[in-house]
Amino acid sequence: MSAIGIFDSVQLTAIAEEVFAAMVDGEPGLLLPWWDGPATVTDPLHAWVDLHASYTGRVLLTTDAATADDLARALLGMDAAEVVSEADLVDAFGEVANVVGGNLKALLPEQGKLTMPLVSRQPPSHEGAFQLDEVLLAWRGRPLVISVWNL
Amino acid sequence: MTLATETFTFVADLVRKRSAIQLEPGKEYLVESRLLPLARHAGMTGVDEYVRGLRAVPRPVEYEKVVEALTTNETSWFRDASPFKALTDHVVPELIRERPVTRQLRLWSAACSTGQEAYSIIMALRDSAPELSVQITATDLSEQVLARARAGRYSQLEINRGLPAKMLVEHFTRVGIEWEVSQQIRRGVTFSRHNLLHAPPAGGPFDIVFLRNVLIYFDLATKQEVLRRVQSVVRPGGFLLLGGAETTIGVDDAWERVPVGRSSVYRLNARRAA
Amino acid sequence: MKALVVDDSRTMRRIVARILQDLGYETDEAGDGQQAIDLLEAGEVYDLACIDWNMPVMDGLEFVMAARARTDWRAMTLMMVTTEAEHGQIVRALAAGAHEYMIKPFTPDAIRDKLELLGLIPAEETV
Repeated sequence: MSAIGIFDSVQLTAIAEEVFAAMVDGEPGLLLPWWDGPATVTDPLHAWVDLHASYTGRVLLTTDAATADDLARALLGMDAAEVVSEADLVDAFGEVANVVGGNLKALLPEQGKLTMPLVSRQPPSHEGAFQLDEVLLAWRGRPLVISVWNL
Repeated sequence: MTLATETFTFVADLVRKRSAIQLEPGKEYLVESRLLPLARHAGMTGVDEYVRGLRAVPRPVEYEKVVEALTTNETSWFRDASPFKALTDHVVPELIRERPVTRQLRLWSAACSTGQEAYSIIMALRDSAPELSVQITATDLSEQVLARARAGRYSQLEINRGLPAKMLVEHFTRVGIEWEVSQQIRRGVTFSRHNLLHAPPAGGPFDIVFLRNVLIYFDLATKQEVLRRVQSVVRPGGFLLLGGAETTIGVDDAWERVPVGRSSVYRLNARRAA
Repeated sequence: MKALVVDDSRTMRRIVARILQDLGYETDEAGDGQQAIDLLEAGEVYDLACIDWNMPVMDGLEFVMAARARTDWRAMTLMMVTTEAEHGQIVRALAAGAHEYMIKPFTPDAIRDKLELLGLIPAEETV
């Protein structure tokens, strides 16, 4: 079996909104669908988890490094002036990918297993993989892309 | 996305007048995000345009939707654990002791919102008094929350709010990103629309009424009116459970305060009601 | 009151620890189940442990089983705090001896509600 048809973008968006409302922002309304035309991520940082069931899937989050910095500040309760260490950035963005991935995994009809999150400035190789879904979101007005892949 | 000041002022004023809930400046994003679906549904591109339309031509039905969108809040399952403990440890054992032949209890969950309180009551009593047949009438003013309550489906965040894990696995199944309460639990609850200032709902007379965190929004005369109507459908010796900041004392002397643990329940004076 | 937060993500440890500190807890942190065991073996005593499931070295489920096997650690309440969100996984964790189960994402209020259910903080009457 494959992951086709198991996730849809409405569910993906709803899960991401819950994660941000509860853990990042402490209130709903700051992560919304992107309405303002095409969005470009110019200095991308990627975080992903792989999902192993009878097939392998991947949940990939991509945003600008500066946005990921602010995401880490929000999660760690740091103020805007504080410098985010590389280790905190990687851990925080990875944990967001982990929570989104975990909630997606629960939609599978079978019990799957999640890998530890990985974070990189280079996108993971998607050779031979195909994209199942992608949602474009705006967190505090800045683009965040969540894509789901079948590896 | 910036919301016009006059949009926010108008909406905050409307919500305060209709619900007594205050939207402080700084909550513009909340107005924007909660009203955007209404605006889009009305064929508008943004909230400013939508609210401009409402200000130009007053439309009560649309006003109601705005107030509802901004006042519907997350409700916990066993919200404040103490009333449920009072229910299972004191109120129900007391009623069983006094009426040993009774195997039926009728409850009213007033201002039930999305149904967590009513379902929590059924789940708690199945554990503590499985021999009882429990019927709950759950009412609210809003059709929108009643539709959600009847569907019995809750988001992960709603499930996380005070539902014991044992009850989650026993009474719920996953449906996509939501959890659905079992038929067996839903069978015990009838949801209907009701205004607390109108004639009481069908389903009575009731042994126990949950009327929590509602009276705080009303003035004294309205509190008295609501309690008088509640009284008319409660059996003599029946119980009333209020929110932690509420009391019948100084409002309606038909009720006797019964301290239970750290909280209190109220009992309809049998002689007076007879 | 003292709590142990067991999670391989330092972000998540910090989030959970802050919430618990706001509720009046003193907190310690461990990066996996084995580190948690080491703290307990060294004589630390906790009223509550919040435990992630997926961790390297020793995962949360193994930790729960190991902790429940020790009669001298019985007073410690075990709450899973994890992204594992399937019905079957919750059943497994409860069967292994977890007292409560919290699915990520959660809010500070959700943690407070759970601790209230567990009798680990006084019930707060909300208005």
